[in-house]
Amino acid sequence: MSQQAAESSPRRPILIHDPTLRDGHHAVRHQLGREQLRAYARAADAAGIPVVEVGHGNGLGASSLQAGRALLSDEAMLSAVRDALTTSKLGVFMLPGWGTTENIRQAISYDVDLVRIGTHCTEGNLAERHLGLLRDAGVDAHGVLLMSHMANPERLAEECARLVGFGATGVGILDSSGHYLPTDVTTRITAIRSAVGVPVMFHGHNNLGMAVANSIAAAEAGATILDACARGFGAGAGNTQLEVLVPVLERLGYDTGIDLYRLLDAADIAERELMPAPPTIDSIGVVSGLAGVFSGFKNRVLDVAAREGVDPRDVFFELGRLQAVAGQEDLIEDVALALRAGSTGRGERMASHV
Amino acid sequence: MNSERRLSVGVLGAGLIGVDLAMKVERSTALDLHLVAGRAAESPGLKQAARLGLPVASRGIRSLADLDEPLDVVFDATNAGSHAEHAEALAPLGTLLVDLTPSRIGRMVVPTVNGADVAAHRDLNMVSCGGQASVPIVRAIALAHRIDYVEVVATAATLSVGRGTRLNLDEYVETTQDALREFTGVGDVKAILNISPARPPATFRVAMSLVGEGLTHDSVRPLVAAAAADVRAFATGYTVTSCIVNDSKAFIAVEVTSAGDQIPAYAGNLDIINSAAIRVAERCAVERRSIEVMEVVS
Repeated sequence: MSQQAAESSPRRPILIHDPTLRDGHHAVRHQLGREQLRAYARAADAAGIPVVEVGHGNGLGASSLQAGRALLSDEAMLSAVRDALTTSKLGVFMLPGWGTTENIRQAISYDVDLVRIGTHCTEGNLAERHLGLLRDAGVDAHGVLLMSHMANPERLAEECARLVGFGATGVGILDSSGHYLPTDVTTRITAIRSAVGVPVMFHGHNNLGMAVANSIAAAEAGATILDACARGFGAGAGNTQLEVLVPVLERLGYDTGIDLYRLLDAADIAERELMPAPPTIDSIGVVSGLAGVFSGFKNRVLDVAAREGVDPRDVFFELGRLQAVAGQEDLIEDVALALRAGSTGRGERMASHV
Repeated sequence: MNSERRLSVGVLGAGLIGVDLAMKVERSTALDLHLVAGRAAESPGLKQAARLGLPVASRGIRSLADLDEPLDVVFDATNAGSHAEHAEALAPLGTLLVDLTPSRIGRMVVPTVNGADVAAHRDLNMVSCGGQASVPIVRAIALAHRIDYVEVVATAATLSVGRGTRLNLDEYVETTQDALREFTGVGDVKAILNISPARPPATFRVAMSLVGEGLTHDSVRPLVAAAAADVRAFATGYTVTSCIVNDSKAFIAVEVTSAGDQIPAYAGNLDIINSAAIRVAERCAVERRSIEVMEVVS
């Protein structure tokens, strides 16, 4: 980025990974169409964004009532974005237990460059088989830990070291509920960095307005891969905002290799083509961040809370108390029924013998 | 019951499933536990089984196949990738195999649905914990309605999910989907498995969503209640926690607690598949007795 030529020390390279077309799907109930995917992928490619990730919000094979049914099949998404990329790499995401080896093989057939295997932060060994498969197939595979605020730095470091043992060529943590403050990120990334020799990533959410600050904390602690989405397009209060993060990094002396004007163009295209409105930190976003609940639960919590006549904020705090993890959307139904029963005394939560 | 008529039983695999299964065999009046066979004498599961006073051996399938008297029943509680080899080793001995891995090799059995099939097959597959918990209810609804889509989301506590299951997530998904298709006749199905790290541990839970026509509160709820009561006959901790029907969608959630033994109450995933496997073996014992009686009479 030309305006930052005044820096004296050598500029530190950092890799931006862009899941706008994957995590952003949570914000629009997984309804992006082929032309929308292609329009953004072309713009991101033109800006020189290193990795463009695409898919259902929960990754390969995740289209479901549980997390939302996608408009397009995985294949349709992969083919649309693959053709739109000339220099950017194509990335996908998969949660074992949601997607399977078959989904990974299909993605490989579309020449995917990078596969991320995600698990809940304490369950990294669920990724053992798929990371091994990708290593054997010669495909770059990263192991990433979801809802990472639910584990301490030592545990995360241990899990990441284990992921490397399974074959991960990169590891990292997702702040899936936007719960972290910068020092939380610093201690965790520092611990992980001292435990592994592969690149470390951080993925932020903006529920408490901390996504950019948390991402900077991650970079300063040694993370070399940062996730960010155009306009912060993502679940709940949104992700780290890409077109903000990149120039901030450049001012701090990092080299992203991304062209500022093209990046801003891509963000404008994203706002125009992908979303009814950019994510904002609404009241529910604050609550889900405080409660430490997966941001992707937002739409279903709002639906069910409205249907059952309960306060969605209570639903989020109760889900947090139950330590719900990403993927447990079915719990929303029972929590709402229990809250209604508690508040009205005539609920529908069924007794043990129907 | 005359102890001579008990079926001789071996348990192959000393993980979370194998040890609980062995305890359940010990309690059965129709089954007689001869051996729990693991692959390493120092494995925690085999040591636990020995501490519990169970007969143990550490040469895996060879420990069972090389016995002087072939066993009547062997429960395979290892992993999906090993089952074919185990079936091959035991086939010449006439041993009935009850497979608790999601191998998709033997005849799938859900006791309250096709328990009668056990007599005609020598390799019976117990599907999966999520399959055992969902098929009876989904099938009951699907027999009475037009159903276009079925989704089953299971959540098991992390401490109740051993390494074999963690490596077999793909097989869990595929086997559970196969069973849903086979027993409900619905082609479009999806199975998902979540692992919960919550403390205290979350009770095993299975959420079923069905999309179809003519689904109403009054048409669905009695079917769910009846199917659940059938399952409770052998899995006493099987409980319906939600049953919501609207807009041609039905959502049913069940929780399963374990009946005790050596596994904690939250580990209903282990309890329901093991209880179903015991039920199947006991049914075989009954069938065999009736065959013996017929032979005596004729």
